[in-house]
Amino acid sequence: MRIKTLWLLLAMLVASLALVAAGCGGDDGGDAAGTGTEQEEQEGGGDLAAEQVITVNWGTEPPSLDPGLATDTTSSNILTNIMDPLIKLDDELNPVPYLAESIEASEDGLTYTIVLREGGKWTNGDPVTAGDFEYAWKRTISPELAADYAYQLYGIKGAQEYNGCEENCDALRDEVGVRAVDDRTLEVTLTSPQPWFPQQLAHHSFLAVHQETVEQHGENWTEAANIVTNGPFRLETWEHNSRIDIVKWDEWRDADSVTLTRVNGRMISDATTSVQAFEAGEVDVTSGLPPEEIPRLKETDGYQQYPGLGTYYYGVNVNTVTDVNQRRAMALAIPRQSIIDNIAQADQLPATGFTPDGIPGFDTINPESPYLPPEGDMDRAKELMEQVESPKTDINLVINDSPGHREIAVAVQAAWSELGLNVNIRQQEWAQFLEAVSPAGNNVDVYRLGWIGDYVDAYNFLELWTCESGNNGSNYCNEEYDELLRRVTSGELESDEDRYEVYGQAEDIILGEDGDMPILPIYWYTYVYLEDPSIQDTFNINTLSQIDLTKVQVRETD
Amino acid sequence: MTSNPREEELRVEGQADEERRFDRATATAQPVRQTNLWKDAYFRYIRNKGAVVAAVVFLLFVLYAALWPIVSPYDPYKVDFAEANMRPTLEHPLGTDRFGRDLLTRTALGARVSISIALMATLAILVIGVVYGAISGFVGGHLDNAMMRLLDALYGLPYLPFAIIMIAIFGGASFWTMVIALSVVSWFTEARIMRGQVITLKENDYVRAARAVGARWHRILARHLVPNTLGVLIIAIFLSIPSIVLAEAFLSFIGLGISPPNASLGSLAQDGRAVYRVHPYQIIIPSVAIATLVLCANFIADGLRDALDPRTRET
Amino acid sequence: MTKLIIRRLFWTIPVILLVVFVTFMMMRQIAGNPFRTSERVIPEAIQRNLEQKYGLDKPWYIQYATYVKNVATFDLGPSLVLRNRTVNDIVKTHFPVSMELGLYAMLFAILFGVPLGILSALRANSWFDYAAMTFSNIGYAVPSFLVATLLIYYFALQWGGTFNFPTSGWNTWESKVLPTVALGLGPMAYFARLVRGTMLETLQQEYVRTASAKGIRWHRVVVVHVLRNSLIPAVTAAAPLLGFIITGSFVIEQIFAIPGIGRYYVTAVNARDYSVVMGLTVLLSVLIVIANMVVDILYGVLDPRTRDART
Repeated sequence: MRIKTLWLLLAMLVASLALVAAGCGGDDGGDAAGTGTEQEEQEGGGDLAAEQVITVNWGTEPPSLDPGLATDTTSSNILTNIMDPLIKLDDELNPVPYLAESIEASEDGLTYTIVLREGGKWTNGDPVTAGDFEYAWKRTISPELAADYAYQLYGIKGAQEYNGCEENCDALRDEVGVRAVDDRTLEVTLTSPQPWFPQQLAHHSFLAVHQETVEQHGENWTEAANIVTNGPFRLETWEHNSRIDIVKWDEWRDADSVTLTRVNGRMISDATTSVQAFEAGEVDVTSGLPPEEIPRLKETDGYQQYPGLGTYYYGVNVNTVTDVNQRRAMALAIPRQSIIDNIAQADQLPATGFTPDGIPGFDTINPESPYLPPEGDMDRAKELMEQVESPKTDINLVINDSPGHREIAVAVQAAWSELGLNVNIRQQEWAQFLEAVSPAGNNVDVYRLGWIGDYVDAYNFLELWTCESGNNGSNYCNEEYDELLRRVTSGELESDEDRYEVYGQAEDIILGEDGDMPILPIYWYTYVYLEDPSIQDTFNINTLSQIDLTKVQVRETD
Repeated sequence: MTSNPREEELRVEGQADEERRFDRATATAQPVRQTNLWKDAYFRYIRNKGAVVAAVVFLLFVLYAALWPIVSPYDPYKVDFAEANMRPTLEHPLGTDRFGRDLLTRTALGARVSISIALMATLAILVIGVVYGAISGFVGGHLDNAMMRLLDALYGLPYLPFAIIMIAIFGGASFWTMVIALSVVSWFTEARIMRGQVITLKENDYVRAARAVGARWHRILARHLVPNTLGVLIIAIFLSIPSIVLAEAFLSFIGLGISPPNASLGSLAQDGRAVYRVHPYQIIIPSVAIATLVLCANFIADGLRDALDPRTRET
Repeated sequence: MTKLIIRRLFWTIPVILLVVFVTFMMMRQIAGNPFRTSERVIPEAIQRNLEQKYGLDKPWYIQYATYVKNVATFDLGPSLVLRNRTVNDIVKTHFPVSMELGLYAMLFAILFGVPLGILSALRANSWFDYAAMTFSNIGYAVPSFLVATLLIYYFALQWGGTFNFPTSGWNTWESKVLPTVALGLGPMAYFARLVRGTMLETLQQEYVRTASAKGIRWHRVVVVHVLRNSLIPAVTAAAPLLGFIITGSFVIEQIFAIPGIGRYYVTAVNARDYSVVMGLTVLLSVLIVIANMVVDILYGVLDPRTRDART
């Protein structure tokens, strides 16, 4: 065992050096033997392929396909394609009637009358009625279901009371402002005028469910064998954590407009593996790309980028970092563009306000904050920092433990250290992180969060910073700000432009010249996907991260 | 045997007495020049070239991890995107990572953390295991029975799941939480070993004889228990280092690793994996570091085992 | 022999109780709300409803008692996060997959590792020995996630044409090859080294030389005497290796997108899905205990020296 082991070790060393050499030499041919990436994209459309089947990597297992219980984007995307929503959003995010034939608002904006189209059907043959919607919505806000997203329906009169009731709930149930006037008419009464209500109806929480099926199968009603749906596709197979396949339903009311015959779904959560699967031609679409791979993937044919309706920001605990000039300095020091170019790498937009680009009225709303220059302004930051009397120099920066956030935190830490701040990055895993920052306790000075729009109106973003909002992690409270937002829901504003004006004023209060800076927005999201060239023309994700499979067509490629 | 056993150190048979060894060449029993156990082991270890190489490499590696960050001209925490992702060159012998930080320095830092965690965790394991096993073996009787049954029960705890839960309890991984998480459920074998040693010792004839003649316990412990067990325990240390280093790498992979900007070898490998297509060196280097640690520790343990194991003195 | 088995089986009960207790207590210590999945804060009313629904509003000892009672009737409860599934469901669907993977990996390790070790020992110091041991050392020391990534890169991507291995999934037999190798490589290397070591030791024993001197044919010597004695330590090594395979599977399942329980475990802890975590931990414990028991029994059978000894 003597000289032999010596040779052994040497051999091992040689082997590892060989590995390194192989690694260093070998990756110019980075593109793999995938069918998709090697083909040229057909100019100007081209013919439809014979086989209209695609494979999508959804990334994770959908936790639930019950519209009342689903909360994540995967479930939402599958649901909006196997069910028939009342409204869909077009490319400009305007509401387009879908299953609903018409939606009329009353004079005072409190009541909406929704008329359903003829021909809506469930997969078991029953017709879709307004009663299905009433049942579904009341079920979602029922205390027994304990739905996480019940709050999406709190705009409806009586919903919040019913959801929180502890006894005598049936009476409260009847008080909820949803009523099926007849089989095709639904009447909804709101708590206050909400001009964005029609757009909200595109959200999966407002889908109908088939009452009999739910009552018969209980918790298992969403399994492929039991589920009854009413949309362009139906659920054929669902092998948990493995695959979920949906096929075109030929009896849908508008089946002729759907080209795809089948969408196979995979659930590959590991980002590196999902890229490998795409490059091997096993999936046609995947997202959740590792940021470090993006520069390489940008050079390939499959790369697609979409603007997203969301803001990535750092919140500041105004109870511990009390001097507004310090907060402004911290905002100025962050090198946003550099972070985007070197870390996030998906051409995100540097945030100049909180509400993202893409929200209607953006031009009026955006404050173009002087404290959020894209390149950062270290000189000005240092100036401001000197004006701070007793700066908080020990900063606890709390983030959750996903890879992208770590890197950004490191970059910000480096920038703030030039201001003389000693930043301690505390990484926590998700559930604990959420506890720690809602709201931020005294041991949290800065925290990272993102906010993605539930619906397409700035209210959804700005209401976060009201005194009462449970999502106000910064402990920020400003009466003026609350007053502005109260005007929006009071009904006293006449037009959309008036509303945008008010939103603009609200943004000024938090991020303008005299802004309080309870938050330091960093960038506005983009969604990055890898798509096989045969579907790139027609496969789209809108800014709310919704995918419409009825529009997708597989084209011929060489 | 001397006439005054209480004052002289007892020379017990088989330990410091003359040993005779069968010499095949002359077919007679030749006396062996007896040195003490440790010097003997040392010489035997030296003859094992593989183990020596492993020990040297290990030592060099530890020195590199401990000292290089001090002498390195690069700041391992400074972010400079202009220098990012550079292949290994003379200036940066191991290249740079995506923040432009020199990888030779970062790997040393990571190695520091990984080795420290491994050593601290092993220490914790030893302390807990030794105390538990010693008490159980020493006291014996019902307590011993109960403690061993409990140990059997604890053996059923799955290791990694519990480490995961412990880290979740502490709200995220840091140096000490990882040490605790990795040691709390892995001390059972050491406890068993210790107990075995103590029991063997208790029932050993010559120890009984020594007691009969009146030698005090602590002398017996010092002269017999410690030398025998120490060898076994040192081997156990070097055997547990690999498993802890690999476990820490696994935890980093699952996302329960050290917070940035600190790094461990596991977190460096994890970071490198994301870009293995374009910058393969960023994953190869930490993996080679892990492999080196693991292999050296194994070879050293093997060498020590051969050196200290009386049975193989024949060869 | 049967008495031994029964006694060991009997002792699994307190073990499981202990595991349940420890896991239960530990999960309770973790701060974090199982019902909060996104950044959006859950309104109080909804939080209350959820807690009521899952019995989380009762005092801890009642929760514990209820849980133990349920476990005794094999009801592991509903998942807190995957709202339409119960833990029993999850176990029934996904546990067999993990077992399959683990089994294949173990078989791979044994079928390739043991012969490799034997041949290396028989041809000690030859080039074969060096090559085999180098290979084993690398396989043992390199972390399995790197092995997995490299395997996917070379066999599924670069040489995809020749080999036809998919990058992920667990349905066709081709998809099972790469994960098995990735998971089994470490244990295989371990076995190879172990068997080689013990064989070398045994080969030098007196009785082997005696048998050989007596004129018994070499390969009979090897098979009848040497192998049997060398393999005993390999058997005892199998039990801790099971632990290694279980932990390794967490990582392999994630990389290869295999629908086993390993993936579920990590997400469940992170999401604070108490029932899933406890259910899976209990299950894993039972597995380890049974494996230990089997090994002990095998050891008793194989090694005549222990047959008469009392534990």
